[in-house]
Amino acid sequence: MRRVGFATWLGVLTLFLVASIIIGVLYGPTPIPLMQVVAILFHPTASINSVIIWQIRLPRVAAAALVGGALAISGAVMQALLKNPLADPYIVGASAGAGLGAILAQDFFPALGLVGPSAFIGSVAAVGLSYGLARGKGRIQMLTLILAGYAVGIILSAVGTFLMLLNRENLSTIFAWEIGGIHGMTWGRLWVPALLILLGSMAIWPFSPDMNAFLLGDEQAHHIGVAVERVQFFLLLAASLLTAAAVYLSGLIGFVGLVVPHVVRRLSGPQHRRLLPLAFIAGATFLVIADTLAEHFPGIGTLPVGLITAFLGGPYFLYLLNRQNRRAVGGM
Amino acid sequence: MTSGLSFNQVKFRWGKQSDTFGPITGRIAQGSFVGLIGPNGAGKSTLLRLSAAYLKPTAGEISLFDRPIAQMTPSQRARLVSVVPQSLSTNFDLTVEEVVELGRLSHLNLRQRFAPVTLAHRQAVSQAMEATGVVAFSRRPFSALSGGEAQRVLLAMALAQNTPLLLLDEPTAHLDPGHARHFLELVQELVYRQHKTVLMAYHDLATVGLYCDALWLMHQGQVLMTGNPETVLSSPLISQVYETGFVHLSHPRSHKPMLLFP
Repeated sequence: MRRVGFATWLGVLTLFLVASIIIGVLYGPTPIPLMQVVAILFHPTASINSVIIWQIRLPRVAAAALVGGALAISGAVMQALLKNPLADPYIVGASAGAGLGAILAQDFFPALGLVGPSAFIGSVAAVGLSYGLARGKGRIQMLTLILAGYAVGIILSAVGTFLMLLNRENLSTIFAWEIGGIHGMTWGRLWVPALLILLGSMAIWPFSPDMNAFLLGDEQAHHIGVAVERVQFFLLLAASLLTAAAVYLSGLIGFVGLVVPHVVRRLSGPQHRRLLPLAFIAGATFLVIADTLAEHFPGIGTLPVGLITAFLGGPYFLYLLNRQNRRAVGGM
Repeated sequence: MTSGLSFNQVKFRWGKQSDTFGPITGRIAQGSFVGLIGPNGAGKSTLLRLSAAYLKPTAGEISLFDRPIAQMTPSQRARLVSVVPQSLSTNFDLTVEEVVELGRLSHLNLRQRFAPVTLAHRQAVSQAMEATGVVAFSRRPFSALSGGEAQRVLLAMALAQNTPLLLLDEPTAHLDPGHARHFLELVQELVYRQHKTVLMAYHDLATVGLYCDALWLMHQGQVLMTGNPETVLSSPLISQVYETGFVHLSHPRSHKPMLLFP
């Protein structure tokens, strides 16, 4: 029954996304009534409230949506490539590379505001390095890629920690960045990564059947006609660009890329043709809600959004695992 | 007569290891059911993987239906040859039908990658499922099947792929005698009714002669002997390569050759 409802789920999740975006722009230091928010969203005016919504709140909400969508797609791709449901977008060194990139920018060019771009480059470079190391002669083994990514991650993190200890005045900036958060977003900062995320996600979608095939193992994927190495390279590149674009916008936000593909698989099954678009929308919705909650946390004020995703995502993931175990033990 | 599969001076070597494979020269006629026998490590799986272009020969040429496999794109090749592995597992709960549908991958055009619901695809999938008797559990998760059921699903996937050549690697290794018999009869039917060409690696010398038209005997990366089952199974080479004696029998009804432990 869960496999037939793709159109339904697409509709329901899109409604959730629209609702979450409206809620996301509703809250803020300046109270604006709901009806006015909706009216301004559809017809921007020159009023101060319209400027607040269109220039301050909406860029932030849009960034949260794009980051959530990008991480969910990237997580789904990594899970298919590595045939491991516990893979996440950061698994092959992306987070450590991004972290080191951010630290280097903060330490050496603090005035230039290069933390985001530098993290982007670090993230892609670390995945490239892991891929290069894992790719011996001929065919790349996905297990080797995980191990190489792990080693690269440890080394880059160690270098990052060392630099952080040398320059302790940057500790709190870097720390905030590593938990993840969306701060001071503008359309000007948003449009390049937004384009990258949207185009990257669309470029990944046609490879859905190949990703389904990877679930059966690389050898069987070859036998049924997948150009295994070329597709793996392309998907890894596209997923790491998506992750890097997300990291550029928001730092390292955890759990979205791991949990969202899981939840969506339960709704729509593991077929990527359905999984990818639903995961994008669900990831976007989840992060918009988490970010709104983080920004206006009752009684506290502002929290890093990465903390909220971990709070929400971690226990939910445990709940899913527990349910799955009971299902397996009960013989379906 | 066209060759389904032919090898011309094919050699292979794993990395820098000195164990060499080949040179192998030989051809399998279209529409024949050939059994590949030989002890563990003889190179049977390597030969199958070379034939499916999963491994690339270090020298020589392999052709499918008289076209060199090295010049084919992955989807051209996958429309000519399919592979049924010994077993397969997945961490994801694809249903049986979804696994069988994966066999259609090389037949999809760009638009069908988003919605492979054309009549031709539906028919290929349902015919493959009917032929292998997996329709009854088509909605169950593939990972929850028994060995015998899973093996039939893998054959169904190969049938949905609809290739004239099938490579089977110990396909009944995990099956009980009943399922093994049904599986082999199904393959035999594909050869006789649909003129498929089959190369099947197989260990059971009591059974292989009952179903195959010809046998290739491999040892240490070489094809030592080819011929009809009577000739190959009665050769003294058999006892040499397996390092054990056998009792030679012919089947009481079909009079086909069988080797049993002495």
